[in-house]
Amino acid sequence: MAEMVTLSIDGREINTPAGTTILEAAKDANIYIPNLCSNEELTPYGSCRLCMVEIAQGKRARLVASCIYEVADGLEVKTNAERVLNVRKLVIELLLARNNKHPALRKIADELGVEETRFPVEQKGCILCGQCVRTCREVVGVSAIGFSGRGITRKVATPFLDFPPDCIACGSCVYVCPVQFIPMKEEKDVRTIINFDYPMQKCTKCGRYFAPIKQLEYFSKTTGLPLEHFETCVDCR
Amino acid sequence: METFNVYASRLITKKEYFSPGHRACQGCAEALAVRLVAKALGQNVIVSSATGCMEIVSSPLPFTNWRVPWIHVAFENTSAVASGVEAGTKALIRKGKLPDKRTVFLGMGGDGATADIGLQSLSGAFERGHNFTYVCYDNEAYMNTGIQRSSSTPFGAATTTSPAGKLKPGQITWKKNMAEIAVAHNIPYVATTCPSYPFDLIQKVKKAASINGPAYIHILSVCPTGWRVPPNKAIWIGRLAVETGVFPLYEVENGKYRITVDVPDLKPVLDYLKPQGRFRHLTPELVDEIQERVTHEYNGLKAKTAL
Repeated sequence: MAEMVTLSIDGREINTPAGTTILEAAKDANIYIPNLCSNEELTPYGSCRLCMVEIAQGKRARLVASCIYEVADGLEVKTNAERVLNVRKLVIELLLARNNKHPALRKIADELGVEETRFPVEQKGCILCGQCVRTCREVVGVSAIGFSGRGITRKVATPFLDFPPDCIACGSCVYVCPVQFIPMKEEKDVRTIINFDYPMQKCTKCGRYFAPIKQLEYFSKTTGLPLEHFETCVDCR
Repeated sequence: METFNVYASRLITKKEYFSPGHRACQGCAEALAVRLVAKALGQNVIVSSATGCMEIVSSPLPFTNWRVPWIHVAFENTSAVASGVEAGTKALIRKGKLPDKRTVFLGMGGDGATADIGLQSLSGAFERGHNFTYVCYDNEAYMNTGIQRSSSTPFGAATTTSPAGKLKPGQITWKKNMAEIAVAHNIPYVATTCPSYPFDLIQKVKKAASINGPAYIHILSVCPTGWRVPPNKAIWIGRLAVETGVFPLYEVENGKYRITVDVPDLKPVLDYLKPQGRFRHLTPELVDEIQERVTHEYNGLKAKTAL
């Protein structure tokens, strides 16, 4: 049993194991903090800045991103202080300047009472939360995509913007993206992610195209089983 | 989005809100469906559950499987209670006695509680436009009390109250199309799904919960006990139901139809009927009759998506 710490969130006293983040503790206590880049399966990253909260230990109060700040004894957290809401409004305006269409962003904007961004809108789509990059690295374990560029030119990209040799076409990045920015299409024997084509494996028994060949090769490599084992679909195996 | 596999499933929450240790039969796809629905909705939900399998297996006194607020209500008033909870919470929020936490109100029941006994209260709740989600776990008979036929039992299925014999081939009426009944109420969101397609299910439940107004989700849940199939085949049977066109997966958003799991060429319906013991008495003529009806209904659905 982990050591327990006691903190207060919005005046409520909360007991939680040491090492959890404020965001997780709040979620367990059913206190809502908006967030876009956090996912319990991935290492916290703190990129979207929507989960800002005000913390106070003693006299000094300051703002931190709750998804990367660990709980501590006697911490006083305010998730709805005016200062916090001002920061969140600014953050969502900045995010809307990158993508002012997606319903997930619109919903958070509505909750915060933001109607339109004051900044010029450059429709980029991606909000740089990095969930796809982290998923590819931590969950899949191939690091086929990453960030390129810095500052305003930063973007999620494949190495040298070329065909990613490590990609196994699993589509996890497509699944995890909160704003559905990465396109994926499947047409019988070809799966297309962004604009790269990956051939699909045809089941040796039923003839259905069921998974990308590169993915099956990766399974074969990680499990040590022969490739033939994976060439029949799960239904026929 | 049915093509996501191994890795995407790791990104679904590991927290269990419908905890393990319940008393459902081996291979119960309905318990799986409930678990996925609970995962999709998260912690901030109030569940009103009709009598039925899922109530019996999850709440044997003094235990409970539910890690979220859960009310057991009678067959006929599940939706009435769910709408009452919704209206009450709304009033308390308006008076400032409760913080506005975007709680999801979930009504759930089996096919008996939805298509037969609870239909009037469900219809009423749809008509009043409460902001709630209703999930029907359709295992095509009253399984909990020992496989009695319901209006959701498909044509030809043998149950204890529609036994197959010399004169009658089991159930003699066609399955009630609950999803279409829900669509006819002009509610914002109606969907059909199946736990054999977990991502499809989770996405639809999340969408239903996020929509303002009533939403209805119809989940085909294979019942190995009642359908007379081996427990390890439940997921496979669910997939066959979709691949043969017996239970197409689609969603209707504000009257607009969309097939979510597209099956370009349907398998013969016999593939689906054959492994199930409840259909084993069917003659080739009856199978042809079922095939004809399935093709007809599937084409009808296709025509609606083209609108």
